[in-house]
Amino acid sequence: MTNKTRYTACMGLALSAGLLAGCVQVGAQNDEKRDFTKMSPEEYADYLIFESDSFNLAQEVQEGGTARERMQQDELQRLCSETRNRPHGEIATRIVTMARASFQYPEDGIQLGDWEKGRELARSGYGFRIGHNYDNPERTVGGNCYACHQMDPEELAYGNIGPSLSNYGELRGNTEAVRRFVYEMIYNPHAYFPCTSMPRMGHNEFLTQDSISHIMAYLLDAESPVNARKKDPDAEVDPAAAPSGDTGF
Amino acid sequence: MFKHVLIATALAGSVVGGAAASDSPYLTGREQLMMLADDNPAELTEWRGEDLYHEPRGPRNVSLEQCDFGLGPGVLEGAYVQMPRYFEDTGRVMDLESRIIHCMKTLQGFTEEDDPVARKHSSDTREADLVAIYTYVAAQSNGMAWNPPMDHPMERLTRDAGEVLFHRRAGSMDFGCVSCHSEPRKRIRLSFLPVTSNQEEWSKAISWPAYRIGHGVVRSSQHRVRGCYYQMRQAGVKFGSDASIAILSYWTDQARGGEATLPDLKR
Ligand code: HEC
Ligand code: HEC
Repeated sequence: MTNKTRYTACMGLALSAGLLAGCVQVGAQNDEKRDFTKMSPEEYADYLIFESDSFNLAQEVQEGGTARERMQQDELQRLCSETRNRPHGEIATRIVTMARASFQYPEDGIQLGDWEKGRELARSGYGFRIGHNYDNPERTVGGNCYACHQMDPEELAYGNIGPSLSNYGELRGNTEAVRRFVYEMIYNPHAYFPCTSMPRMGHNEFLTQDSISHIMAYLLDAESPVNARKKDPDAEVDPAAAPSGDTGF
Repeated sequence: MFKHVLIATALAGSVVGGAAASDSPYLTGREQLMMLADDNPAELTEWRGEDLYHEPRGPRNVSLEQCDFGLGPGVLEGAYVQMPRYFEDTGRVMDLESRIIHCMKTLQGFTEEDDPVARKHSSDTREADLVAIYTYVAAQSNGMAWNPPMDHPMERLTRDAGEVLFHRRAGSMDFGCVSCHSEPRKRIRLSFLPVTSNQEEWSKAISWPAYRIGHGVVRSSQHRVRGCYYQMRQAGVKFGSDASIAILSYWTDQARGGEATLPDLKR
């Protein structure tokens, strides 16, 4: 770090945390000019992220800008972190209201795309990773639904952070109300589950409208294997067929 | 062969789920992994680390035998389970990896550019000296209870800030560490996730160094922290940075009293 950037970083902190005294140099805990122990854990955590040279904040990211902006929290992220993902009363209401206000629908209405494309997208965890092994922004971004959900009953390598979505279309139907709910869940699930761990894949512009329509087809289309009810749930477990390794997470 | 063990175990863990290891599918899977693999290849790394530790090296041609890991120069037994810790000589809270680098520089005279310091992680073709020495020193705490000191105010602040970082959601997927390591019995794809609230699970989870079957080399705790920030789509965390050490301080504190498995064997 040059002295100049040190100075600027220092000013940023001084302004945001109201700390002017001793703000001569940043970048190491042993800066004798500063008494970190006067900071709250939250202030020190902020310092660690933005001022201590702990992260590669200057790296450019595919949504534009740099990794520094990725590390800044929006209101939802901040509220959920502060409440440890258990928002009550007013805060929960605020989160739900914000999430509803965030919805943007495709211009030609919510349509089902191609379930075969959706199958690949639901499996893939590619996209938006930065740091030591930058994901190529030209490649299609996956939704990584399998990391957290069961979908095709024949697929064994599924996570369980979220509920099973097997036979989802068959069980829920493929009505306009269901399509709208699924779209909104993918777009911003905090409208229904405030501070859920499911990412806001529409709101964060993680998935394109096209990709969302394909994944929705995979969930809801009667032809999709997700809706081919499995006869015997314990049949034919072939360990060698199960993928391992890079899950995207 | 190892790859196959890996898949079989992951599945067994999810199907058998249970009787052993206090009803933790994570621990059941890990036990099966240990049983299926005859040896832990990390032992080879440990032996190489022992040689490197005692060998006079660097521009000053001295060994690391006078390095102080917190319990006095040359005291290795139990040193790692009592880290990260505050060191007066640097005025920093340091983890084992940073401390080894510190000694390579101050005792042996290596610089940032010299391979033993510059090479932080191993590759298929080349094992990092740092990883080997780290494995040797860590192994001298095998079976002991995690017990990071919290006497110095910076040790406590570092842990507390680590707790904030652990719960802090940010980035393209809105994740914090807590998104995947707080609810028991959950898994991502086939990998069962350890949770901080289960001491047995968490003590095992933070047991690095570990030979990672999927990677074919020994990995360190710094490598794991980097990987978890990477999958969260947050900014790349720098090796040995104060933020990485804050995470390590919190995660070690969460395992306090639990048994360390050093080196470990992981999927
Ligand atoms: C990080 C884990 C995670 C990922 C990735 C994820 N989800 Fe979810 N999902 C959840 C959780 C958790 C819930 C349950 C809501 C809650 O209680 O927080 C959920 C709920 C849902 C529901 C509502 C189920 C119902 O009750 O009707 C749908 C639909 C859904 N997810 C679809 C998807 C799709 C499609 C993808 C991929 C594009 C996806 N999810 C990716 C975690 C995830
Ligand atoms: C999106 C989910 C996710 C998030 C978020 C996440 N992790 Fe992980 N974590 C994983 C997975 C998957 C593994 C690998 C488990 C395995 O190898 O079986 C793992 C492994 C670990 C392990 C080692 C467990 C073992 O025994 O191999 C530790 C410790 C850990 N994570 C800590 C963290 C920390 C600290 C953060 C935040 C910086 C974090 N995780 C964020 C999914 C996640």
